Amino acid sequence: MNWQKVRTLLITVLLLCLIPATRYYQIDVPLLRFLKGSRQVDPLALHLSGEFVENNLGTEQGPDGSVTVRMIAQQYLFIPHCILVPAGVPVHLRITSADAVHSLTFNGTDYAVKVLPGTISDAQLEFPHPGEYQMPCREFCGAGHYAMRSELKVVPREQFPVLRPEERGNCAAQ
Amino acid sequence: MQRNRHRRFSFSVWRLPRLAGVIVVASSLLLLASDNRPDRIPSYVSWTPETIAAASAGDAFRGMLLARHCDHCHGAEGFSAVASTPNLVRMDKLAIWKQLEDFRAHKRTSRVMEPISESLSPRDVADVVAYYSKLPVFTDPQDNRSFPQSRPDPAHAGIASRLISFGDGERGIPPCQTCHGPVAYRPGVPSLATQNADYVLNQLEAFASRARANDINEPMRTIAALLTEDERHALAEYYGAGLGLQPGSSK
Repeated sequence: MNWQKVRTLLITVLLLCLIPATRYYQIDVPLLRFLKGSRQVDPLALHLSGEFVENNLGTEQGPDGSVTVRMIAQQYLFIPHCILVPAGVPVHLRITSADAVHSLTFNGTDYAVKVLPGTISDAQLEFPHPGEYQMPCREFCGAGHYAMRSELKVVPREQFPVLRPEERGNCAAQ
Repeated sequence: MQRNRHRRFSFSVWRLPRLAGVIVVASSLLLLASDNRPDRIPSYVSWTPETIAAASAGDAFRGMLLARHCDHCHGAEGFSAVASTPNLVRMDKLAIWKQLEDFRAHKRTSRVMEPISESLSPRDVADVVAYYSKLPVFTDPQDNRSFPQSRPDPAHAGIASRLISFGDGERGIPPCQTCHGPVAYRPGVPSLATQNADYVLNQLEAFASRARANDINEPMRTIAALLTEDERHALAEYYGAGLGLQPGSSK
C-alpha cells in the first residue's frame, strides 16, 4: 500500500462522512431533497410553481380511483372554499399554509389537521356518511380567525362524478 | 496491451445517434405519462423580503414629477375625476406596485394601464408608488373629485358595516378590515378607506366572474363569489362614502 492509495482512501472516507454530516446539521441538499420527495414548500411562492398552483387545488381523482385533496390555508380562508369527496373512500389530504399556523377541523368528526407554513401536512381521512360538513379553523390565526371556515360536501360513492382535471376546484357547480 | 486499451476506449459512430434516439423516446414517454397541464399563475409577484425592499426603495420626489403623467385620470391630488378610475391617494405602496407589475405581465387586463406599465422602468414604478403612498389627503379640494360620494341608505350601511367589521362566520366570509385596513394589512392589499364606489363595485364583480384573476391564492375571487349582489353594492357604497376610515365603525 503506497501513500497515494492511503491518501485516496482518506479522502473517500472524509467525503463519505459529509453525507451524515449534512443530515445531522440539517444542511439543505437539493439532490437529496429531490430524491426524497420533500415536504418543504416556500409559503410565499405557492402560486408560482409546484403542487399548490391554483389549477391544481381541489379534489383530484387518480386513474386507480384514489382521491387526493389539495388545499391552501391563508388568513382567513381555506382555498378552495368548498371541497367535494366521495363517501367511504380514503381521502389523501395535502394542505399547506401561506402565512400563519392554522388547524383544519371537520365538524361532526374528530379529525384535526395542523397546518404550518413551509411544510405540507399529510392526512388520510375517510368520511363514511354523506352530507355537508363545515371545516372551521381551530388554531387562533389572527383577527378574522372566527370567520375562517370552508365547506366539505360528501356525496355517495355512486354519485361522485368523474372529475376532469379542470374541475378540481368547482364544488359549487356540482 | 496497447491494442487492448485502444479497444476499450473505442467509440462507435452509431453510439451517439442511438443514445439520442433513446433519450427522445424516453422523454416523450415521460411527457405522455405526466399530467402536463400548464400551471395557471395569477401573478408573478411573491412577497419575499427582497421584493418588499425593492418596491419600497423609491424616491418620492422623483415620483412626484413622474406622477404628473397620471394626473389626467387619477387626479392631481390622487382623487380621480371619474368614479370608475381608482383613487391613489394614500394607497399602500406595495398595492400599486403589484398592480403595475401585473399589468406589465398581462396578468391583469386594462387597455389603458397595460401599455403605460410597459413604458415604466422598475425604478419609475418604485418612485411613483412612493409618491402616492405619501400624498396627504387635502381637506379643501382643488379639483372636482369623485370622492366622497353621498351616504348610503341605512339598510345598506348596516349590511356593509357588519361585513367590514365582522364578516360572516356562517358562510366563511372574513371581515374586510382584517386585510384592507384599518385594523390590519397584508402586503400588496389595497387600503379601501378612500376608494371610489364604482371602482370597488366593478372590481368585486370582476373578481366574482373571474374576469380579474390576479389575486395570489385567489382570496378575492372566493370572497366576491360568496357575496350576494346586494352585499357587493352595499360595500361599494359604504367605502365610496368614506365611511371605511374608522376601525369597526358601525353606522
